[in-house]
Amino acid sequence: MVSWKKTGVALGGALLMLSGCAGFTTGDETEEETALEEEGVEIVDFWTFWGSETRRPIIDKIVADFNESQDEIEVVHSYYPWGDIWTKELAAIGAGDPPDVVINDINATALRGMEGQAESLTAIMGNNDISERFYPELWEATLYEGESYGLPFNTDTRMLFYNKDAFEEVGLDPEAPPATWAELEEFALMLDEKAGEEYERIGFYPLWGVGYDVWLTNLNGENYIDQEGNVSLATEENAEVLNWLKSWRDRLGADTVDSFKAKFESNQGHPFLSGELGMMIANMNFYTQIRDYAPDLNFGVAPIPEYEPGNGFTSWGGGFVAEIPKGSDSPEAALEFMKYLTDVEAQTYWAVQNFDIVANREAAELAAQSEEFSEDGRMVYEAGTENMEHTILTPVPTVAPDFYTLVNPEVDEFLLGEQTAEEALQNAQEAVEALVEQNQ
Amino acid sequence: MIDQRVAAKERTRERYMDNVNNRKQLLRWFNFILLAAGSLLFLSPLWWMISTSLKSMVEIMTPPTTVFPQDWLWSNYARTLEAAPFARYAANTIVITIIVVAGNVLANSFIAYGFAKIRFKGKGFLFAVVLSTMMIPGFVTLVPQYILYAKLGWLNSYYPLIIPAFFGSAFFIFLLRQFYMTIPNELIEAAKMEGASHFYIWRKIGIPLTKPALATVAIFSFNGAWNDFLGPLLYLNDSDLYTLQIGLQVFKGQVSTQWNYLMAGSLLVLLPVIVLFFVFQKYFIQGMNLQSGSKE
Amino acid sequence: MNKRFLTHKQKEGLAGYIFVMPFIVGFIALTGGPLVFSFIASFTNYNVASDMEFIGIENYAQLFTADQIFMTALWNTVYFVLFSVPLTTLGALFLAALLNQDVPGMRVFRTIYYLPAVLSGVGVYLLWMQLLDPTTGLINIALGWFGIDGPNWLFDPDWTKPSLILMKMWSVGGSMLLYLASMQGISKSLYEAAEIDGASGWKKFIFITVPMVTPIIFFDLVTSTIGAFQIFQEAYVMTSNGEGGPANSLLFYNLYLWNKAFEAFDMGYAMAMSWVLFVIVFVITIFNLKLAPRWVHYEGGDDK
Repeated sequence: MVSWKKTGVALGGALLMLSGCAGFTTGDETEEETALEEEGVEIVDFWTFWGSETRRPIIDKIVADFNESQDEIEVVHSYYPWGDIWTKELAAIGAGDPPDVVINDINATALRGMEGQAESLTAIMGNNDISERFYPELWEATLYEGESYGLPFNTDTRMLFYNKDAFEEVGLDPEAPPATWAELEEFALMLDEKAGEEYERIGFYPLWGVGYDVWLTNLNGENYIDQEGNVSLATEENAEVLNWLKSWRDRLGADTVDSFKAKFESNQGHPFLSGELGMMIANMNFYTQIRDYAPDLNFGVAPIPEYEPGNGFTSWGGGFVAEIPKGSDSPEAALEFMKYLTDVEAQTYWAVQNFDIVANREAAELAAQSEEFSEDGRMVYEAGTENMEHTILTPVPTVAPDFYTLVNPEVDEFLLGEQTAEEALQNAQEAVEALVEQNQ
Repeated sequence: MIDQRVAAKERTRERYMDNVNNRKQLLRWFNFILLAAGSLLFLSPLWWMISTSLKSMVEIMTPPTTVFPQDWLWSNYARTLEAAPFARYAANTIVITIIVVAGNVLANSFIAYGFAKIRFKGKGFLFAVVLSTMMIPGFVTLVPQYILYAKLGWLNSYYPLIIPAFFGSAFFIFLLRQFYMTIPNELIEAAKMEGASHFYIWRKIGIPLTKPALATVAIFSFNGAWNDFLGPLLYLNDSDLYTLQIGLQVFKGQVSTQWNYLMAGSLLVLLPVIVLFFVFQKYFIQGMNLQSGSKE
Repeated sequence: MNKRFLTHKQKEGLAGYIFVMPFIVGFIALTGGPLVFSFIASFTNYNVASDMEFIGIENYAQLFTADQIFMTALWNTVYFVLFSVPLTTLGALFLAALLNQDVPGMRVFRTIYYLPAVLSGVGVYLLWMQLLDPTTGLINIALGWFGIDGPNWLFDPDWTKPSLILMKMWSVGGSMLLYLASMQGISKSLYEAAEIDGASGWKKFIFITVPMVTPIIFFDLVTSTIGAFQIFQEAYVMTSNGEGGPANSLLFYNLYLWNKAFEAFDMGYAMAMSWVLFVIVFVITIFNLKLAPRWVHYEGGDDK
């Protein structure tokens, strides 16, 4: 009995020593941080969701470089998981003790500006405008009523990936990807391969990898809802797009389409990597998955085909910004760091190491020439930066941030054959207009 | 004559008992087969986790999905453990979990006894308040709750995770109340006659008679604290204080997830839960012997 | 006041308050404040960051008059509650009865059936996506053996909710444990008496086991109703970022509430939604509590 007790005490003691005894003291600064602050160094709390094996060392190096480069500001980087990071951020803003810099989704930066969750950078920067270093589309997305609420960090763009071997196999020129919707359809039919009832290879399906909205954008050259909440859904062109999308579904059959869709959504076992899919639309950084999981795949990239010659290859992108949450206690120092983060050196490093298109235009173009990329890598990256010219962002309109919950179900019901395209668009148009009116 | 009749009766009885025993035996095996068949269904996810944890990412990402790994990469487990300071996270998690379980078992058992076996004014109303705390979605109290803990100066400490366990939770209070309700009132009246206080009755009668229920509370609150993710994530900032569930997140990315490491880590984290459940079962087995033990 | 002057009844009452005191203290000091705050803020345009303005019942008015999605979300949730609660309750009860028998390897079986209740996280949901895959998923393959052409589970708006109910059924191990614990309290003499009367196993289950575990059936019904009304995680993970699934068929109440609170940052509106849900669930629970004395059997005697 006695020896059991002794073991228990020893184990308990060891546990407490191993664990953070600090968990039972309060205060959220470490000793080093307090010491630094006493020396007059400003601490900048920096939150990102880049915690993976590949990303974490890269952002850590950028932070370390910044800390080395001067002795007034010390940036402390913390990683929190994707998604949850912003729940935590919001709670911290509510409590009045937020971090100083947070990486956030560019599509809602203006919304957060309006809601007062982010500090206006224009107010801090004054005339020291640095907007010209970014792709204009990205900078635009950070503005609410003319003031910027975040510095763009990285972005992406949707492109057509195609399997060159499959092209050759069916007698297509592997260097001539489809350029129009008609060609896309024609090539897809040639690439389809059936064994009995089952497809062994599917040429293309427009709604794997992207949503219907990207195709609407591709045809119109702009989003169907603008920043002021003007909706242009119920148009003939849009009805044509929807009918075109449905024709693919009807031809391939709902079962085939849904079964493949399940594979995309599980993020496992990707059909393009195994050659079961001839062409697909994907984010340009899908290349890293090809590189890592299917290095022998012979593939090419091209802009998303245009509706008809001359209509434009409009693509869609997203991205992330660095924001200063409302209530930060060192906004000037935070901005100093954010400027470094979006300057050419840090951005080029990030671009090359992560295979991301960065927001800093000069850095992106420098990275495209990088010796560190493989031949394929350089090819994709260059195509990606060129595609930025056609890429638009669709930041959420501040008057109807959740409009998609009204549009998606209507389109779904159309695709399932429960209503016509015109009905779907008309219903969605009215519903979103009502929401905009409610919120104004 | 009489002897013969007795003997005949005895034979019938034996035959009858044989019959009953045979039927019981048959039923036993029928149940066994039923349970074994069902087990396959219930175990399939576990197998999927194990097999994923042993595959390479290339295998996971290339269709078709395989049931057995092509190469059994046991090294995935070593690499998983290297990805974060898991020993420290495990120690943190154990400390938090032990305190939470102790708090939950103690406080809820105490409070529930009051609701079940003592008559006092406003009990109905108070019990409605207890149940009400379950009915408001946690999302809307998340921010105000965080603000409150911030005002108390508890952020970046274990207090928001462990202190509430000592004030009872609606689910457990309600559960234990149901169990106390089955204790005969006469038993309590008799003890009171002998001058026992409610505190004494709770300790000497209440707790021993609700052991299976307390074991359930212990298991549930162990799982709750062990698997809690949002709580530690919200309230802890210093990575030295992190728990296992936060540690596992390093394998999840925005674009791609390292399924093999994530599954390996999840399995390692799951192991103590399974072992604990297996051990705690003795509280459920006592009773079973009471029911069918006469036979063996 | 001196203790001697307390009547028996007062003493009893005092003891009662002492026993429930931890809850009262915890409620006042920790959990009650945020609840009250959320009630007050439901009458404002609270968005976490800016000052809130009192806007009266505007949030509530909008919910009932202008918000089309609100009714969809409520209907989806009620559908889920109506099917999942009875099915999981029955499932757990039967499983517990089966696992309360004397069968070789019982401890292992119990662990296996309990396992899904502790398996959580994204991995499990992705596994279900694979199991429910219309062509290659195990479930439809198994249905095919019986000549049944399985549905498109997660892609057909009519089948998405049944898919989730199926998932819930699979993790009944948690409630199973409650019934198992409760069955330990049934005296074996009851069963012996029944056996002498020649009662079959089924009869013993219906006439002894079930009545004796009614307190837990009641508990399970009440808590799983409250829980089912708040279903979130499954739908959030299975609909890629909580968009609501095909034709919004998986847009449950809490998912919609989440989108309002953390995507649209309309926290006041979300708080109003949560209090509407509260009223619905509260009324159902009170109804349950009032009905309970008719069928719940407490061995210990009536509620004092």
